[in-house]
Amino acid sequence: MAFKTPSLSFFVQAECKTTRARSGVMKLPHYSVKTPVFMPVGTQGTMKGLLPEQLEDLDCEIILGNTYHLGNRPGTDVLEKAGGLHKFMSWKRALLTDSGGFQMVSLLKLAEITEEGVKFKSPYDNSEIMLTPEKSIEIQNCIGADIIMQLDDVVQTTYQDYNRIKEATERTSRWLDRCLKAHKRPSEQNIFPIVQGLLNGELREKSAREHMTKNVNGFAIGGLSGGESKDEFWPMVHLSTGVLDKYRPRYLMGVGMAIDLVVCVALGVDMFDCVFPTRTARFGCALTSKGQLNLKQKKYSMDLNPIDKDCNCSTCKTYTRAYLHCIVTMETVACHLLSVHNIAFQMRLMQKMRENIENGTFPEFVHNFVNELYSNGNIPCWVINSLKSVGIHI
Amino acid sequence: MRFAIRHTGCNAERVGILTGFTRLPNASIETPSAALLTQSGSVAHLTAEVLAKVFSNPQLVWVPLSNSAHLETGLKAQGESLAKFIGLSESVTCATLHCMNDITPPGHFEVDMVPVWTKHGKKMINAERYMELMEVFKPDILLAIADSRTTLTDGLKRNTKAVDRTCNMLNICVKKYKASNYLKNSLLVGVIAGTGTMSKCKNCIQNILTYREAIGGVALAGLTDGTEESLNIGIDKLEDIFKDINKALPNDLVKFIDGCWSPDVVVTAIQYGWDIFDGSYPAKLTNAGHALALNFDVNQATTELCLLDLNDAKYKEDFRPVLEGCQCLSCKKHTRAYICHLLNTREMLASVLLSIHNLHHFDQMFVHARNNIASNTFVIYKNHIVNQYMEYKQMQDKAKENVEKPESESEQAKKKICVSNEPVEA
Ligand SMILES: [Zn+2]
Ligand SMILES: [Zn+2]
Repeated sequence: MAFKTPSLSFFVQAECKTTRARSGVMKLPHYSVKTPVFMPVGTQGTMKGLLPEQLEDLDCEIILGNTYHLGNRPGTDVLEKAGGLHKFMSWKRALLTDSGGFQMVSLLKLAEITEEGVKFKSPYDNSEIMLTPEKSIEIQNCIGADIIMQLDDVVQTTYQDYNRIKEATERTSRWLDRCLKAHKRPSEQNIFPIVQGLLNGELREKSAREHMTKNVNGFAIGGLSGGESKDEFWPMVHLSTGVLDKYRPRYLMGVGMAIDLVVCVALGVDMFDCVFPTRTARFGCALTSKGQLNLKQKKYSMDLNPIDKDCNCSTCKTYTRAYLHCIVTMETVACHLLSVHNIAFQMRLMQKMRENIENGTFPEFVHNFVNELYSNGNIPCWVINSLKSVGIHI
Repeated sequence: MRFAIRHTGCNAERVGILTGFTRLPNASIETPSAALLTQSGSVAHLTAEVLAKVFSNPQLVWVPLSNSAHLETGLKAQGESLAKFIGLSESVTCATLHCMNDITPPGHFEVDMVPVWTKHGKKMINAERYMELMEVFKPDILLAIADSRTTLTDGLKRNTKAVDRTCNMLNICVKKYKASNYLKNSLLVGVIAGTGTMSKCKNCIQNILTYREAIGGVALAGLTDGTEESLNIGIDKLEDIFKDINKALPNDLVKFIDGCWSPDVVVTAIQYGWDIFDGSYPAKLTNAGHALALNFDVNQATTELCLLDLNDAKYKEDFRPVLEGCQCLSCKKHTRAYICHLLNTREMLASVLLSIHNLHHFDQMFVHARNNIASNTFVIYKNHIVNQYMEYKQMQDKAKENVEKPESESEQAKKKICVSNEPVEA
């Protein structure tokens, strides 16, 4: 099964016979990315102190940049002269940028959304600035990422007003058309539309169906992971992947906790991003298959084990928990060491899922994963229900 | 531990090699060279994985107790060596009391005790406690505890106290050193204190030399307490001190110098026979967002200043590497514009890239020094480095003068525009 265009080809290599999980390769202008994939977030054109070669060694094939931040600093002038973000940050593999809209609404209290775009006060000189769909694409064309996002009308996920949600969903569709029309580099960059509708199934289905009629090479599922309960979250993912066709990649925005990754891969998602693994590193937290370790805790002060004896990252090969305990939240090196481990953890989890999908053992993998994570037996209801919806009975 | 001098130049400059470390039988450290300064045991901003990309050969790492005392509990549990605990098994570790980049309050002394300013506050420490910690740290080289944080402006009274205290503490250090099964295999270095008063300083040296059988090196301290003023002594005065003290010392001792010395001072010290430097200088540059860019080729005219301040917005669109032709990882892959952006956005990668360049380039300064000593051309090289640094200093002073001059109105207006364009953290 293959979907081919000059800027994105998607080859599904194996499909799970029980769930909606699939593994594949997404061929982008700068790199061929194995899916399902986790994409670490490098907001300002850098990944939390890690060198590009370290990210390559960690098997990162695609990373994220934030349009809002990059548009301000270094700015489009510099990026254009540098020849795009790839060259500016010396990253040879694939990149994805967001539209900037989410950052604007979440960072700036004074944002106002109209049909024209997102209006906000510049934090630099207080002048009014308008981020329109056209402007977002112009900046993203300049940054030059392999995958770029449409500007969508962002509403807080837990927002209740039906009329506003409906307006946002419909406006997102109208803005998609404007983004596609403004796109100057369709042979090098792919615009993904964003499925909206928040927690309203009817609106979300309509949004997905409408996006399906457009000439796009993949889809993002947005408006989730914003404070809603897990019981509300997973049915929306299930609904979205049920409507979107099988041939193009599906990207679930802002999701990256291990259990969420496993469940959502089972629900048929191919791409994920999340700041969590690198952000939590700063606070001394290390991810493991049994949960998180907070290395600041005194109980690690004499613990001569690596973070995870099954992890083959450079941190686990070299450093003990006792040493990390001495430096976390104090030295930047600790932050780098935990970022390396946490990214390695995410990458290894995705790798294992791809292998199991290809070997036809994905349901068994999910069983083992859930049992190890919840070894006390307290498996959350949403995990049981979501997996049941795709045929895995825990 | 063995120290062999391979070649001595026209003055006292010499190329040597340190070998025979008990823990690392195959390791060798060529001198003159600079150690890598560590913080909590790690080279600042660089993980072991990244450090291995910068240096392929074993390095000397400098571990000040003031920023690593909190490793004690973990080290005790591990019981092997500091080098292994900090993830740098292949490196030669050198433990000492203070970090020369820290500026600490003066005073706070007690009888035969010195204050150590750690991240958890002031800790009074005597020679017994120091050696007890060394027994836990198990470094390959250890500097004796000393009252070393004085400057050349300190008077007779302060220097007398410093030397008395240092001598008393050394006596205890040597006793403990000889009695320790582990430490007696490491290199013990006596510390020269009270340098501001030459007669007292010589007393200190005499005391060190009474332990010739135990002591394999000396470290010149008592020149600076880390403050800017104490470092701006003037090269002539320092030259006399380096010369004088070197003459008072036997040739076969390894000679260390403590302090955050700029390249002109470093090459001058090398000329008078000093071998090992503590590496605080490149670390300080990195933390300020500066990059060292010396021209090592004496036959090539220097075109740019030898220090770049990459915070400066003039590098915003400068897509050249920090230093054209530099073989470090940063220069091979990254640009001034990128580092300028990373500094501007306070991203950690700025310090990583600058550390890589500054450590590599500072090390190269020593590689070239060794080559020039070996080919008897060291003085030319030394002058070449001193001149570049002087030129930078002069430009700095000129820039300072310009700032102090009252500005014309149009200049003030220009500045205002700049300020309003300044990005603000969202
Ligand atoms: Zn690991
Ligand atoms: Zn360089």
